[in-house]
Amino acid sequence: MYLFLCIVSFISVFPLYWMVSAATNKSADVISGRLIPGGYFMENLNNLLAAQNIGRAFGNSFKYAAILTIVSLLVSSLAGYGFEIFHDKAKDTLMSIILLAMMVPFVATMIPLFQMFSKAGWLNTTIGFILPTISTPFLIMMFRQSARSFPHDIMEAARIDGLSEIRIFFQMFIPTMRSTYAAAMTITFMNAWNSYLWPKVIMTDANSQTMPMVVANLTEGYVTDYGMLMLAVLICTLPTAVVFFCLQNAFAEGITGAVK
Amino acid sequence: MKRKILAALLASTMVLSLVGCGGGSAETPAAPAADSGAAEEAPAAEEAPAADAETPAAAGGDETLTVWCWDPAFNMNAMYEAEKVYQKDHPNFKLNVVETPWDDIQTKVTTAATSGDLSTLPDIFLMQDNAFQKNVLAFPDVCMDLTNSGVDFSQFAAGKTAYSVIDGKNYGVPFDNGAVVACYRTDLLEQAGLTIDDFTDITFDQYLENGKKVLEATGKPLISMQAGECDLIMMMLQSAGASLFNEDGTANIVGNDTLKTVMETYKSLKDAGVLTEVNSWDEYVGDFVSGNVAGTINGCWIMASIQTAEDQSGNWAITNMPSLVGASGATNYSNNGGSSWAVTTNCANPDLACDFLASTFAGSNELYDNILPSGALATWAPAGDSSAYGEPNEFFGGDAVSAKIVDFATKVPTNITGAYYYEARNAVATAITNYINGSDLETELQTAEQTINFNMQ
Repeated sequence: MYLFLCIVSFISVFPLYWMVSAATNKSADVISGRLIPGGYFMENLNNLLAAQNIGRAFGNSFKYAAILTIVSLLVSSLAGYGFEIFHDKAKDTLMSIILLAMMVPFVATMIPLFQMFSKAGWLNTTIGFILPTISTPFLIMMFRQSARSFPHDIMEAARIDGLSEIRIFFQMFIPTMRSTYAAAMTITFMNAWNSYLWPKVIMTDANSQTMPMVVANLTEGYVTDYGMLMLAVLICTLPTAVVFFCLQNAFAEGITGAVK
Repeated sequence: MKRKILAALLASTMVLSLVGCGGGSAETPAAPAADSGAAEEAPAAEEAPAADAETPAAAGGDETLTVWCWDPAFNMNAMYEAEKVYQKDHPNFKLNVVETPWDDIQTKVTTAATSGDLSTLPDIFLMQDNAFQKNVLAFPDVCMDLTNSGVDFSQFAAGKTAYSVIDGKNYGVPFDNGAVVACYRTDLLEQAGLTIDDFTDITFDQYLENGKKVLEATGKPLISMQAGECDLIMMMLQSAGASLFNEDGTANIVGNDTLKTVMETYKSLKDAGVLTEVNSWDEYVGDFVSGNVAGTINGCWIMASIQTAEDQSGNWAITNMPSLVGASGATNYSNNGGSSWAVTTNCANPDLACDFLASTFAGSNELYDNILPSGALATWAPAGDSSAYGEPNEFFGGDAVSAKIVDFATKVPTNITGAYYYEARNAVATAITNYINGSDLETELQTAEQTINFNMQ
């Protein structure tokens, strides 16, 4: 039993280990399959800094992902809360329609979206990045499900005490649903950080490139420096890893829908 | 305290999202269906003023051009050098080079062309030769006709310009050289009692014989190739002047005797163990970098990867590729890869863009000398005469490889790519894989032709 678990965890951890060790080797060693960490970390780092504006891309990615996470959590949780707490027949039908929208792949809506955004002058802007995913059916559904476990008695009590609906949401719902927010935050941040297709279409200016785009830049050309590439991938992975590790307890709770 | 921060955060995001929503509702009606239809009909004319306001490239009447290309060490470097050369006569000239991987350029061009909004395109972009015909045929509004632009196309190798000629019109200024070179490890050949001369101007029959000797003496195959890809097949086919398509664009697979010979030759190399197949590009590069094979045949750009194995300096040599036996028009020269510059119809100053290309990539020895150290070899014939091209390369045993390759490039037969080149290559790759695994050649070729015809419908 433990042997099996060991093998499986080795298989899942190995690519991560290989990424880290490759980031410290030179390209020729990576290709020939060297697995032990080497001494080329600083050289790779210097090459990377010389080849790409990593700082700018990191900053851009972080800015887009952070703003998108905050805004979309707020919008989606308000929507999910509303759908559940004030539900009636019409709203339930509307919810089904929203869920149907989950089935439409993004590539199908990309070209009309691009047309609209280009006309509105939103290419190369933060708003252009965040607007298409500001509210996602998945998040709305997630918040709707968790609002179901929100105790109605407390709400009634709050209403009797004269708390307005909007304050009930901000002062009671949000603090109670901390773990759901944490889970949603992890998912949204990761998606925003890793998103590639949409930014690649609308970010035509070098100043607005994001981290995944920079990593993609490194694989082009006749010679790929694998050590440098792995270092860039490592840097690109760090923020999502940090967010996940910080919120992992809450994430697990949020996914299972617990209320504290 | 925590609550206050939270409240402040939420309040600010509320404001932000309201701004977002407000902007959204005000702007979205600006693009109703009817409107966009009109835009599609006359994209270039109507969108151009909008482009001036939005893209920094076209701002004002200054001499700035925006360029998309993808390799900082290679084609981006070439553009920066070209900028310097052109600035000598045009001090106000400036380039805005945006690093964009080829796949991204393809996505952006497709998005812009299908949405009818070409204003997001740059002035000049680099296009893979293999994709040139496809893009010009599929999106006729994107690339500008450069036939009478002042660029002298006759000075380029004919096999190279053919990639970007559609209906007799030139749409691309050739950039990097994809002439095929055969690279060998001379130290390994020596162990089998052979030299580089035994591999020069030979046929594939002799290649096979030599390969067997090398295999016996060293236990190493002569060449490795990526399974499921047909790079070598295509190089062999083009070396005999044959293509997967006819002049009129129809598929030329069944009854293409040269293709049949190519497939049979490939299989005999594989069966003899002279050629070994690997699963990925990384393994392919790894094979010759770590000395698992005694050489490779590919576009001359592969030499940059070979030279990453610094410990093997002096042990490599290049020569021309073997020729096909039993094919009319067989030569020792072919092409794989390479790219050309295209000027878009969104370019606000086409005269400047054309003049820039004509006086740099199609007219400056200085430029080609400057970019030679980065491995960018010209297809512009006059460049080969410059002294920089005659300098010996120590890695390749002190041979003047650059001049050699420019000479190879001028002898490459043309290849008809058409709009469905990638689809055809995939179909042929499937056919060769099945054929190697024992399936009947005629049947496989018929399936391949059917697949291509299905794609073209």
